[in-house]
Amino acid sequence: MLSPFKLALRRMPGVTPGTRSLHRHLLLWLLLPQLVLWLAAAYVTYNVADRYANRAIDAALKTATRSLARQVKPIGNGLFIDFPKAAQDIIEADPDDRVYYMVSTPPGEFILGNNKLPPPPVNDARLGETYFYNGSMKEKSHQLGIRVAAMYLSFGDENAPQRMLVQVARSRASGEELARQILVDTALPLSGLVALMSVIVWGGIRTGLAPLARLRAEVEDRAPNDLAPIKLEAAPEEVRALVKALNSLLAQVHENVSVQKRFISDAAHQLRTPLAGLKSQTELALTETDNPGLQARLRRVHESATRSAHLINQLLTLARAEPESVAAQGRTRVDLRRLASEVTAELVPRGRHAGVDLGLDDGDEKPIEIHGNALLLRESLLNLVDNAIRYAGDGSVVTVRLSAQDSQAVLEVEDNGPGIAEADRERVFERFARATHEGNGCGLGLAIVKEIVERHTGTVELQAVQPHGLRAVVRLPRIVERKTVAV
Amino acid sequence: MKLLLAEDDAILADALSANLALAGFEVDVAPNGAVAEYLLLRQQFDLGVLDLGLPLVDGLTVLKRVRAARPTLPMLVLTALDGLDHRVAGLNAGADDYLTKPFDFPELEARIRALLRRTRSAAAASAQEMGRLSFDRDTRRAAIDNEAMELSPREWMLMDLLLTQRDKVVTKEQIAEAWAVDRGDANAGSIEVYIHRLRRKLDGSGLAIRTVRGLGYLLEAEAA
Repeated sequence: MLSPFKLALRRMPGVTPGTRSLHRHLLLWLLLPQLVLWLAAAYVTYNVADRYANRAIDAALKTATRSLARQVKPIGNGLFIDFPKAAQDIIEADPDDRVYYMVSTPPGEFILGNNKLPPPPVNDARLGETYFYNGSMKEKSHQLGIRVAAMYLSFGDENAPQRMLVQVARSRASGEELARQILVDTALPLSGLVALMSVIVWGGIRTGLAPLARLRAEVEDRAPNDLAPIKLEAAPEEVRALVKALNSLLAQVHENVSVQKRFISDAAHQLRTPLAGLKSQTELALTETDNPGLQARLRRVHESATRSAHLINQLLTLARAEPESVAAQGRTRVDLRRLASEVTAELVPRGRHAGVDLGLDDGDEKPIEIHGNALLLRESLLNLVDNAIRYAGDGSVVTVRLSAQDSQAVLEVEDNGPGIAEADRERVFERFARATHEGNGCGLGLAIVKEIVERHTGTVELQAVQPHGLRAVVRLPRIVERKTVAV
Repeated sequence: MKLLLAEDDAILADALSANLALAGFEVDVAPNGAVAEYLLLRQQFDLGVLDLGLPLVDGLTVLKRVRAARPTLPMLVLTALDGLDHRVAGLNAGADDYLTKPFDFPELEARIRALLRRTRSAAAASAQEMGRLSFDRDTRRAAIDNEAMELSPREWMLMDLLLTQRDKVVTKEQIAEAWAVDRGDANAGSIEVYIHRLRRKLDGSGLAIRTVRGLGYLLEAEAA
């Protein structure tokens, strides 16, 4: 059960990765807080720096205000301002950081000073208190930001009390400059730190997600019918759980597939005995009747039974060529040269029966060894030669040829029969696809060859032979003995 | 010749026993493993034809028990299984030959006769006839239409080999191997020379030695 909070969180855009890359999602959610932190730090730093800069200015302004106030002396109802030139010079000494002052009475009515300063933003000001505030004033042609210290004083006799305002101001430029300097001095190393942390976070995410990439590669590199469990060494817990779930699914699929295959294989076995009965009964019937019409029909029944038997055998061979069975049957070093001569010799009687001149073209005697399953390789060669005998026809020549080319063993079965049209040469490798409806093949021969050859990481193709005929070329990786070369 | 046929499929057993009877054998049929074992151990048979998938007692067990009691009785195994493991198991259990279902009856008959020939008396096996040629390994005499045929030791060995494997390819390696035993006339000529001589001597015998390209030779009856 998900709490309402979690549900709400899930609905918010950007909170869950959705279809976004996990890499990008993590990066965003780890770097965003850093950016916020950086901005907040910059803001706070600037404000604190500004306050401290003002405090320093304020202290100086306060002193100047008090000094100026002391110079203003009331005489009766008037004012006497004793402002020596020396003091004036001191106040206005620095041309870059000028000090502005104004004495006014009643407050706001300029009587003395070097500029008009804005009034303090206070309503009922107390006498003798210093007020600090920011303001702006007109200096030559532009507005100037200033920090002002203001003090109200009273003078005159008790019957007619009067107030005067003493103001001293300084440009805020120096304070702002200071605050900015402090900000830059703090923010710059902070930015560097943020960048460094981003790199570290990025690296962390990358290495953290690496097992996922490895899992992906493991799944991607897999042959579609390879259902063996995935092996991922030293994977983190989360990925291990994923692999475990995936493996249990694979095991289930594997189980289903093998049950089905076992069924096919069992069914084929079960079909053999009744077929044997059918053949034997037909053979018997053939000897028991003299009726030529019946004999012809019986021969067709017999031929049909023979075809069914061939089909069953081919189906079983195909089932044996499946990856699971191949893995179970194991592999050894197989001398292809010897295999070719054995298979060809075995099929010579059948070739003679069909009027086909079957032979081997092989001048060499050195073994051509490959790594594979002898039984399956034998089946594939049997099928190639059997096909040639079946389809090349009476009076044709079939030749088995063997050679070693670099790291490959090349096996060819060539005939001078009618051949196969180019359009059909790919299609005939499909199961139950046949280029011709003559002969009593079942359309599985070349599919078996392809399956077995590919199981041995080899290739098979059909080529046309001039003037007519067909050449099946099988290439298999051969075992190349590394000769130690004396240096 | 008396055979025991152990086969549980009634239709197949019926046809096989009839075909075997037509071929001149006396046949008893056992419908399950127990009956097959009982008959094979209690009665005299020249050969047993045993299906591996028998009810009650399976064929492999019957085979092992019979083999223990009757080591010389030739046994031919019929099987609906053709995996390599099954073949090896059958042969290890003592089968002399095996045949995968379904099969053509002439094939079964040929295998039965070959097995019987192998186990019959040596004298019966050593004499062989093919076409107009008679070949007696005991007396080392070969004749065409009773006319003696003179063969040198190497020619004799070659002819013997071709005849034993009639209709099948005899490779040059096999010939060289057979000759290696005979050190008498080493390097007396190539295989081709001997084949050529044999062909001349077989002229008119109804037999022909065919050359199989790249492999060797094959002896067959000439088409009539």
